Amino acid sequence: MIFPKATISEIIGLLEAVNDAGGVEDAARLAGDFDLELDEILPSIDGAELLGFATVTDGNIELTEDARKLLDAGIRERKKIIRDKVAGVEIIKELKNKFMESDEHRIKKEDALGFLQKNISTTDIESYFKIIINWTRHGGLIGYNSDSEEIYLMPGE
Amino acid sequence: MLAEIKNVSKTYETDSNKISVLDDINFSVEDNDFICIVGPSGCGKSTLLRIIVGLEKPTSGEVFFKGEVISSDNPKVAMVFQNFALFPWLTVQENIELVLESKKQGRELEKTACKYIKAVGLDGFEKVYPRELSGGMKQRVGFARALAVEPVLLCMDEPFSSLDALTSQNLKDELLMLWADANMPPDAVIMVTHNVEEAVYMSNRIIILSPRPGKVVADLKIELERPRNRKDPEFYRWVDKVYSLIV
Repeated sequence: MIFPKATISEIIGLLEAVNDAGGVEDAARLAGDFDLELDEILPSIDGAELLGFATVTDGNIELTEDARKLLDAGIRERKKIIRDKVAGVEIIKELKNKFMESDEHRIKKEDALGFLQKNISTTDIESYFKIIINWTRHGGLIGYNSDSEEIYLMPGE
Repeated sequence: MLAEIKNVSKTYETDSNKISVLDDINFSVEDNDFICIVGPSGCGKSTLLRIIVGLEKPTSGEVFFKGEVISSDNPKVAMVFQNFALFPWLTVQENIELVLESKKQGRELEKTACKYIKAVGLDGFEKVYPRELSGGMKQRVGFARALAVEPVLLCMDEPFSSLDALTSQNLKDELLMLWADANMPPDAVIMVTHNVEEAVYMSNRIIILSPRPGKVVADLKIELERPRNRKDPEFYRWVDKVYSLIV
């Protein structure tokens, strides 16, 4: 599979820009508005689609009802919405299942990298690891301790 | 009146000559002001902000905060920096707690830090080091650290210019949400930016400086309802107006 290399902040920024355009915007025009090349915003578009915040048809990005709820929400509520969406992403569900199999609900980063490498076609798995941790931390699902190099289920999960 | 910038001028001296950077700047800051200072590159915007927070002294003139001459250790004024200025060896929570140590201790210190970590949506990131954070998350730490001292006046020097365009868009909206929350500090904001659209989007007043030495050429009240829409023709009329005063 291909996982979108975009942070949650970039994805929300994209949704806000589409919202300003009335809820539907041409991807190329949006890139132009930000002085970006189309391929620079594609990961954010793919991320918005994967999280169920946008649909893309013939180059037009359209906000979903969930995206409107997200944009209308305050910072605290946004976090909850993102948590639910991130928890539903297949590769993140599978990564979480790996924790549940372990005794202490934590695994070494190298094991997580091995798991991701099997699922994501890339030679740069480290940067995908960072993005996935960005998503899961945003959602309060999976954290990473860089001292012990372990990823773990966040409190409350 | 919250603050008053009165006859402020700044000149730097080298061995051979004097460079005038700011020339007789005057304006006041009221409660609920969100002021953006804009102007051409090199007009002294950032120098003016550093003088306002007391990090630099003017060559002449004075800055008053609630009637008193400003000092660099004024706990009611906080600063957000372009490049985040986080200590890399401290975690998110420790970076925020550090600025509170002179005022609070123990449980109260932790409670205040956690309140502002949550307010900016950083909960879950408490034990994370800055090197693990994206630019957007680093600047959220910058906001939380500045808000944690519960300032009356928040000063920001190009806080979005180190971020990519989409992240910057997201953070501007989140900052405006915090600004709209009556339970959150500060009472007023002064932000320096080179981005005219950003100034029109964020502020209710724009102060335009001339090329060096910077003088106030206009002090505009932005009469646009919030939330503002960057695609709105009226928004663009304001952007054009500000550009025409800068050029």
